[in-house]
Amino acid sequence: MELYEKYGGFGSINKIVMAFYDTLLDSEEIGPYFDDIEMGRLIDHQTKFVANLLGGPASFSNDQLRRAHATLQITAAHFDEMKSVLNDTLLAHGIEPADAESVMASIESRRDVIVAQDVT
Amino acid sequence: MSIEAINEQLLRSVGVGVALFSDQDYQLEFSNDVFTSWFSGASEQQPLAILFPELDLSAMQQAFAVDRAYSTELKFRIKRRTLVVAQTFSRTQVGDQVLIVLECQNITRIRELESMIESYSSMVERNAREIQREKEQVEKLLLNIMPRAAYEEYKDFGVVAPQRHQSVSVLVLEFTDFSQQVEALPPATLVSELNELFSAFDKISELLGCERIRTTGDTYRCIAGMQDPEIEHAHAVSKAAVRFVRFLKRRNTSSSIDWQCRVGLGTGSVVGSVVGNQKYVFDVFGQAVDAAMLARAHAGNMEILVQSDSILSYPDDLTTQGTSTTAASNAGLIALRET
Repeated sequence: MELYEKYGGFGSINKIVMAFYDTLLDSEEIGPYFDDIEMGRLIDHQTKFVANLLGGPASFSNDQLRRAHATLQITAAHFDEMKSVLNDTLLAHGIEPADAESVMASIESRRDVIVAQDVT
Repeated sequence: MSIEAINEQLLRSVGVGVALFSDQDYQLEFSNDVFTSWFSGASEQQPLAILFPELDLSAMQQAFAVDRAYSTELKFRIKRRTLVVAQTFSRTQVGDQVLIVLECQNITRIRELESMIESYSSMVERNAREIQREKEQVEKLLLNIMPRAAYEEYKDFGVVAPQRHQSVSVLVLEFTDFSQQVEALPPATLVSELNELFSAFDKISELLGCERIRTTGDTYRCIAGMQDPEIEHAHAVSKAAVRFVRFLKRRNTSSSIDWQCRVGLGTGSVVGSVVGNQKYVFDVFGQAVDAAMLARAHAGNMEILVQSDSILSYPDDLTTQGTSTTAASNAGLIALRET
């Protein structure tokens, strides 16, 4: 069973999406990435991102992810920060540590397609 | 503490943004903490039009003229967060002074949730469309290997019960010299040719109430009377056979690749069923199939053979005549052709 179903489908997952969105916006480290992004688009992005990670009704190929992040020049440190924020959010919303770890592993496996290769 | 002081304290502490404007010159007279936290530029005596340049003042005045409140929505950014505030302007009389009361509710969360639901719905709808497309694809594939009635039964019950059909007619067409064609033609050309021929046979079959059972390389097999026992199934396969042969003859005159065939028809009972657990094949077997196979085996080039005692009548535009070989004749077969 996908984590998405295990934790109650969208009825429960939406709280994770909102909390993740709030924390990212308030983050001094990675918040600036969202300075010029319109609210609807950003929420759409976060909803699909979380649904995708937990095995919900969204899936993105590495190519799609690469294209979506290509212009953002994301650094390895910011990628780590995003992972840490998401991990905290998942744990705060009752996701079991082992499941949160598997989500982290899934994100980690896509580090190379999200982090800009020419930025340190 | 006086009533006025309590009122002011209340106005200051409520969770909604409240501001009061003079009805005379639309200047700000009072604002509470929530209001000033959202609209940090607000200061006393500031005109409404400067504070909210996008406010439609004439629409507000029109609402006031008929004693109604005026509501609008304001979207603005504080740092990187978009705030959405619902504003309601209403007029109130305080002593001899008329004031415009502005009440602001923070509806950001509602709009954020709406955006999230919209995003989720679009994902779910896209998934539903994909599932529907896949379902149609599967249906198309299954209908390719079994008749619709069998497919419907399979869909509803997960199995297709074998069924005996007392009286049906079967057509078996075989391309003659098929092995030589396989050797002579490039594989892609051969497959494209078979595809074209079988597609044409399918169309003719469907038109005449026959249903293709299967193709196996050099043979094409169809049946009539299984779905609709009322149909004159012997007529249907006879007509189909004649048209198959006519189609091939006509095609041969304009194509560089020549196809010859022999056709056998049989009438009688069959059992129809899906065979196999993993790889499904719908098949029919029994008397009618055996008769058609035998007839096909005796048929000469472009000849249609049928058991002389199995078909009681033929369509008006068809006739029977002697077979091309004695063996066929001895097997009780007659040839069928157009009048």
